[in-house]
Amino acid sequence: MGRERPAGHLRSARSPSEGEKSIRVPIQSSADILEARRCGRELAAELGFPAIDRTLVALAISELARNIVLHAEEGEIRIARDERPGSAGIVVTAVDSGPGIGDLRAVLHDGYSASRNLGLGLPGVRRIVDEFDISSKPRHGTTVTVKKWKPR
Amino acid sequence: MEATVSEKSSPARRFEQDYAAALGRYLSEGGEAPLQQAYELGRLGLTSGEGVLAMALLHHAALAAVLRDAAPPGHSLAREPARTIERAGEFFAEAMSPFEMTHRAIGEANAALRRLNEALEEQVQRIALALHDDAGQLMVAVHLSLDETMREMPPGIKARMSGVKALLSLVEERIRDLSHELRPAMLDHLGLVPAVEFLAANLGQRTGLQIKVESTLSGRLPPQLAIALYRIIQEALANVRRHARATRVRIHLSRRGNTLRCTVSDNGVGFDPAATVRSALPGLGLLGIRERLNALGGTLRIQSGEGRGTRLEITAPLQQVEHADSDSPRRRPSGGA
Repeated sequence: MGRERPAGHLRSARSPSEGEKSIRVPIQSSADILEARRCGRELAAELGFPAIDRTLVALAISELARNIVLHAEEGEIRIARDERPGSAGIVVTAVDSGPGIGDLRAVLHDGYSASRNLGLGLPGVRRIVDEFDISSKPRHGTTVTVKKWKPR
Repeated sequence: MEATVSEKSSPARRFEQDYAAALGRYLSEGGEAPLQQAYELGRLGLTSGEGVLAMALLHHAALAAVLRDAAPPGHSLAREPARTIERAGEFFAEAMSPFEMTHRAIGEANAALRRLNEALEEQVQRIALALHDDAGQLMVAVHLSLDETMREMPPGIKARMSGVKALLSLVEERIRDLSHELRPAMLDHLGLVPAVEFLAANLGQRTGLQIKVESTLSGRLPPQLAIALYRIIQEALANVRRHARATRVRIHLSRRGNTLRCTVSDNGVGFDPAATVRSALPGLGLLGIRERLNALGGTLRIQSGEGRGTRLEITAPLQQVEHADSDSPRRRPSGGA
């Protein structure tokens, strides 16, 4: 956590630890969420994630992509594997060049909006993944990076 | 709107139909698209207030409908029941996945609430002690130095100062009461029942409520349980005073085996417990009682109805608390460790 790049870099795709290219899915409308979910679920299956975790990966992708559609209109979901000796994980990065978030702490807090009262949205994503990182600059966009490790 | 009570409103109908259609599609074709729909429908269900059980029932009704429509024996769904059941499970998990986020959020919130409760209790205890010891000592000093000064005063002013002294005594008394309300030293020294009796007598005096305290308890309760029960009774009485318009309250404490039982009943106007539990913001008092009981592994039952008075029945295990006792650094009166 905390090693991800700052927001607003739509072009700098990969973090150095990723051995392979990440899959990029542009997100403009809710129809694009489907493709991102499909890629995430496929990779999770490939890495041998159990059923619950495959569903949680798809869920995290959905919530992140939904955020892009809702708040930024345009952005991208990147899906990559993070393989280290003894563990395999999926890194999902949601990047948008939207208005950005002024108060990150507020947005990560339940109750910030009606649906967050139910623990949905970004706070919900944080609870279903193993690592969560967010950076945002007003007027430059937001980057959310989450990792889910395959349970041992 | 009430004309056809048996028929579901159209959004609910629509929800069921969409669910069944997406499920049917996944069972026959598979693929990501119907799974995404399952997630969307689950999210919609969650945000529009569907419960977990309602979702489970809806799923099974939809599955039954899909299978009924695929009745011809040669149909693939009927030919491969194991595969069909597996896929239905995948679809259901997807629909329920948004509820997982809520479930985890509630767990986190509960833990935070519990920590907050403990912190508050400690703070309250500190304030109570400061009021009792520090402010109390200061008041004694003020009285003494006033007495000394008054000796040198001419009689006319002395008489007026007596009035001031009488007011000071009232302040002193008020501070003592306040300190006691916050954290009754009596609870530590004499135990729960005398503390509750004192609370009841005090409140009765102030409000005219007739409060009867009955107890068949013997021996002392673990301190954590005693303070929790004291607070619960305090909150219950505050509720009675604020809402019930009652004239009489009865508090009964007893123990059966490992279970402590406490009832608080009043003869007030009552309320609809289901409505209070359902409403988005249940009474903070009830919420506080539930939260305290949660931490103790206890239960709360509310019996009430319009015009029927209210009866709270609280149970809590004695044993568990004795174990949990060690993580609460609380002042013991004397003896002990």
